[in-house]
Amino acid sequence: MALPLSKDVARKYPELASLYDHLMMCTHCGNCRYFYEYRPDVNLSAPNCLSGEYFYFDSYTASRGKNAVLKGVLSGRIPFDEKAAHVIFACTTCMACREMCETDVKDWLNRLFETARREAWKNNIGIPAGIKKWSEHIKVEHNPYLEKHADRFAWLPADIRNSLPKKAEYVYFVGCTASYRQKNIALATVELFRKLGIDFTIAVDGDGEWCCGSPALRTGQWDTAKELAEHNAQVLDKYGDKVITTCAGCFRTLIQDYQKEAPEGYKDVLGIDFNMPVIHTMQLLAELIDKGEVEFQELPEFAGKVFVYHDPCHLGRHVGVYDEPRKVLNSFKGIKVVEAERSRQWSWCCGAGGGVRSGFPDFSLWASKVRLEEFKELGAEIVTSACPFCWRNLDDASKMFSFNLPVYDLAEIAAKAVVKKK
Amino acid sequence: MPRGVDRVLKTLQEIVGRDYASNEEAILMPYSFDLTWNEPRMPDYVVMPKTVEEVQRVLSFANRERIPVVPYVSSTNIGGLCIPEEGGIVLDLRRMNRIIKIDTETHYAVIEPGVSHAQFSRELKKVGFEFGWGVHPASASVLAMTLQHGIGHLNGRFGVNSQFISSMEVVLPTGEVCKIGSCAYSDEWHSLLPLPMLAGLFIGWLGTTGVVTKLGVWITRIRPYKDVLTIAAEDAESMTKYMVMWRDLELCDEITAVSWWLAQIPIPYPYQEKPPDAPEWFSYTVISGWSEEELEYKRKMWKEVVAKARQKGCKLIDFEYPPEAKRGRTELPSRIVGSTKNYSKSCGGGLAWPGTFTPAKNWPILYEKMKEIYIKHGLSPATRFTDYRGAHYGMWRVMTPFDKRNPEAVWHARQAMREVVEVGVKAGMIPYKPPVDYWNVMNAHADPGWLMLLCKIKDCLDPNHIMNPGKLGIR
Ligand SMILES: Cc1cc2nc3c(=O)[nH]c(=O)nc-3n(C[C@H](O)[C@H](O)[C@H](O)COP(=O)(O)OP(=O)(O)OC[C@H]3O[C@@H](n4cnc5c(N)ncnc54)[C@H](O)[C@@H]3O)c2cc1C
Repeated sequence: MALPLSKDVARKYPELASLYDHLMMCTHCGNCRYFYEYRPDVNLSAPNCLSGEYFYFDSYTASRGKNAVLKGVLSGRIPFDEKAAHVIFACTTCMACREMCETDVKDWLNRLFETARREAWKNNIGIPAGIKKWSEHIKVEHNPYLEKHADRFAWLPADIRNSLPKKAEYVYFVGCTASYRQKNIALATVELFRKLGIDFTIAVDGDGEWCCGSPALRTGQWDTAKELAEHNAQVLDKYGDKVITTCAGCFRTLIQDYQKEAPEGYKDVLGIDFNMPVIHTMQLLAELIDKGEVEFQELPEFAGKVFVYHDPCHLGRHVGVYDEPRKVLNSFKGIKVVEAERSRQWSWCCGAGGGVRSGFPDFSLWASKVRLEEFKELGAEIVTSACPFCWRNLDDASKMFSFNLPVYDLAEIAAKAVVKKK
Repeated sequence: MPRGVDRVLKTLQEIVGRDYASNEEAILMPYSFDLTWNEPRMPDYVVMPKTVEEVQRVLSFANRERIPVVPYVSSTNIGGLCIPEEGGIVLDLRRMNRIIKIDTETHYAVIEPGVSHAQFSRELKKVGFEFGWGVHPASASVLAMTLQHGIGHLNGRFGVNSQFISSMEVVLPTGEVCKIGSCAYSDEWHSLLPLPMLAGLFIGWLGTTGVVTKLGVWITRIRPYKDVLTIAAEDAESMTKYMVMWRDLELCDEITAVSWWLAQIPIPYPYQEKPPDAPEWFSYTVISGWSEEELEYKRKMWKEVVAKARQKGCKLIDFEYPPEAKRGRTELPSRIVGSTKNYSKSCGGGLAWPGTFTPAKNWPILYEKMKEIYIKHGLSPATRFTDYRGAHYGMWRVMTPFDKRNPEAVWHARQAMREVVEVGVKAGMIPYKPPVDYWNVMNAHADPGWLMLLCKIKDCLDPNHIMNPGKLGIR
C-alpha cells in the first residue's frame, strides 16, 4: 500500500505537506504507545500517552495514532475535519511518545503536530473554544490569561521594583503564569535571587517582557508567536547578558524555539536573531551547590516529610534537564525524597501544556489526578516541580480531587531555606 | 466524517458505552492500514469492549446483522491481518488488559487480549519468570502473538509460543462463550491435554473463527546464567549446517543467523552490495543455565560443534557481538533489538516480510533463489534463519523495508515477496501470519481435502462469515 501525497491536499495545507517526507518515516509500529525499559536495574512498563489513556482510540494514542490521522489527511483518504482537529489538539505535546520512537520521524513529532494545528487555524477547523478564547487577547495584552499587560508586574513590591538595575548579568524572564497566577513562584524567585546576591533585573518597563509565545507556538498560532518573540528578542538583551527563568515552558521556548534550527526549533518561523544564553533557575542553583556556595537550612514545617519531584515536560523531555532539580531537592535538609517510577524521561505529563488546559479542562485535570494518585501511592506527602504551569494543574487537581497533597515549586522552598556561604 | 449506519453505531454504543464506539473517519484511519503493503480499507466502526459480556453482545449483534468483525489489539502482525477487507467493525481489545493470574506454583499465567509484552514481562520478572519474548514493539499483545504462532526467545528450548498455550476462553462468532482445556472443568488453566485439542479451532486462524478473551500460557523460571555465543559464515549452507548440528544437542534457548543485510542498522534500502570481504552470515546462540558450570559445559559443547562443523567443510569465521547487541539478546524483551530502528527507520514507513516456517535443509537453496528475486526488485536480502525445537525447521524470513511514499517502490516490495512465496511453497515453506496475497499462492498449491476441511470448520463456527472475512484466502 502506498500513501502518496495528494496534490490537492498539498495545495490546501502546504505547511503540513512540507513535512510529508518526515511524517512518512513513521512505520506505524507502535513502539511509541507504551513506556518500556528493561535492564537488570530497571523493569519499567507503564502507559505513557495521556490522550490515548483518556480518549482510548488508536488515533489519540501516542504519535502512531496522530501520525496515522495526518497520513490519512495528506494522502487524501480522510478530510481534515473537526474530529481530526480534535485528535490533533487533544495532546499536550509532552513527547512521551517521542521518547520511545526509534525511527527518523522522532525529531519531527512536535513540529508535525504543531504544524497541523497551524493549518487548523488557517482553515478554521475545530479550534477548541477554550483556546480561541485567549487567541485575540494575547495579541493585544501579551498574555493568555485575559489580564492587562499593565498589571504584569503588579506582584512585584514597589521597593524591589525600584531597586532593580537597568542592566544586569541576568534578566529574570518571569512568564505569564508566574506573573498573573502563580505569583508565589515569581516572588520566591526574586527572594531567592536577592538572598543569593545574584545580579539580576526584570524587563518591567512598559515595553518590557511579553509572553514568551509558548502557548501560541504550541497551539499553532505562529503569527502571534512571531510578534511576541520578535518583541522579546529585541528587548531582552537591553536588560542583561543572560536570561534566567523559573518557568519550564518559557525555558523551552527561549532556549530552543528562539534559537535552535529546525527540526524542533522555530527559528525559521520566528525569524529572530536571538543568541542570549538561557538557563533555568534550577540549573543556577545546582551550579552553586556544586561550587559549595549555597546550602539549605532545615525548615521545621517540612521536617521528616516525604517529597517527590514531578518533571515538567518542557524542562525534562524537551530540553533534557533532569539532574539539576533533583540536586536541589536532595540538598534540602531533614526531608525524605522518593522517586516515582515514571520519572525523568519516563514522566507522566501533568496535562497542562500544549493548549490542553485551556482547550480540554477535564482531560487536563484528569491527567494531574493520575499523577497525584501515583505520588500518593508512593507515600509522598509533598509534591514539588519546577514549572508554574505544572504547579497550577497539580495544585488544582489536588484540591479538586481532595488529595490533600501540597504542591511547591522548588524555587519556593529554596527561597525559604537557602543560606549563602560565600 | 462519519461512516456506517447511525442505528448500528447507536447499538454498539449501548453495548460498550458512548465513549468506546465511533464511526468517525479520523478515528477509523489508524485501523485501516498497517506497516505492510496491504491495501488500506476503512472499517465502518471501531468498538472497544471491556468485558467478555460486551464482546458476546457485539458478536451476537454483528452476527444477526451480518457485519464483519475484526479482532484487533495493535496491528503489528506484519501481514495486514487486521485490515478490514470488507469494512465493518474493528474490535479493539486494548481495554481488556488484565493479567488475571500468575500461578508460580504450577507455572502458568492467564491473560486478556490487551496485555502487552511490556506489561506481562514486568509482572513475570517481578516473580522470577519469563515467557517467549519476540523482538516486536513492547506495546503489542502477548495473546495475539501467541495465538498466531508467535516466535519468542525460547524457541530453541521450547518451540513456537503457541506451543505454550495451556487453556483458553473464547467467544464464538455467534456470541456463545466457551472454555477450552483444563479451565473447562475448574479454575485451573494448566493444560489443554489430555482433552480433544479444540484450541486448534482458534490457534493460527488469524481471528477468523472467534475472539479469544482469556489465554492460559505456560511460563518458565528465568535462568540466572546466560551467555551469547557468536560465529559468522561465508555462505548460507555453512551456516545452516552448523546451526542444525548445534540445535541437535538441544542445549540452546535460541539459535539464529542473519544475513549481512539484516545485520546492518537499518537494513540498506534500496539494495546495496555487501563489501566483498564481509562474511555473508552472522549467528548468535543464547545459552542459559542454573550455574556457571552448566554454562561452561554448554560453551564447551558449542566449541566442539564449531570444530566439527569446520572439519565437515563449513566455512565458519570467528566473530564477537558488540556488548550492546549481547545485552539485547539476554535482556529481552528489549528496546535494543525490539524496534523498527533495526529494520526500517528511514526508508519511508514500509515494513513487510515473507516470514515462514521452512525445513532447515531448504534454507540455503531458497536463500539463493530469493536473493536473485530481491536484488532484481532493488531490495536487500535481509534474511533470518532460526531453528526451532522439534524437527529441524524454523524461521526463514526476509525483513523488507520499503518506501510507502512511492507506489512503484510498494509494487516492487509486494511483487518480490509474492514471487518468493511462489517459489518457496513448493519447497516446504509455510508463511506465518500470511497476508491474503500469500494465501492465494498457498491455496493454489494446497491439498483439496485440507481446504475443504478449513471451509467446513469456518462455516460451522461462523455461519454468516462475519469474522475477519477475506483472510485465509477462503470464504
Ligand atoms: C518490528 C517487528 C518485529 C516483530 N517481531 C516479532 C517476533 O519476534 N515474534 C513474533 O511472534 N512476532 C513478531 N512481530 C509481529 C507482531 O508484533 C506480534 O505477533 C504481536 O505480538 C502481535 O500483536 P498485536 O497486538 O499487534 O496483534 P494484532 O496485529 O492486533 O493481531 C494479530 C492477529 O490476531 C488476531 N487477534 C487479535 N486478538 C485476537 C483475539 N483476542 N482473538 C482472536 N484473534 C485475535 C487479529 O485479528 C490478527 O489476525 C513483529 C512485529 C514488528 C513490527
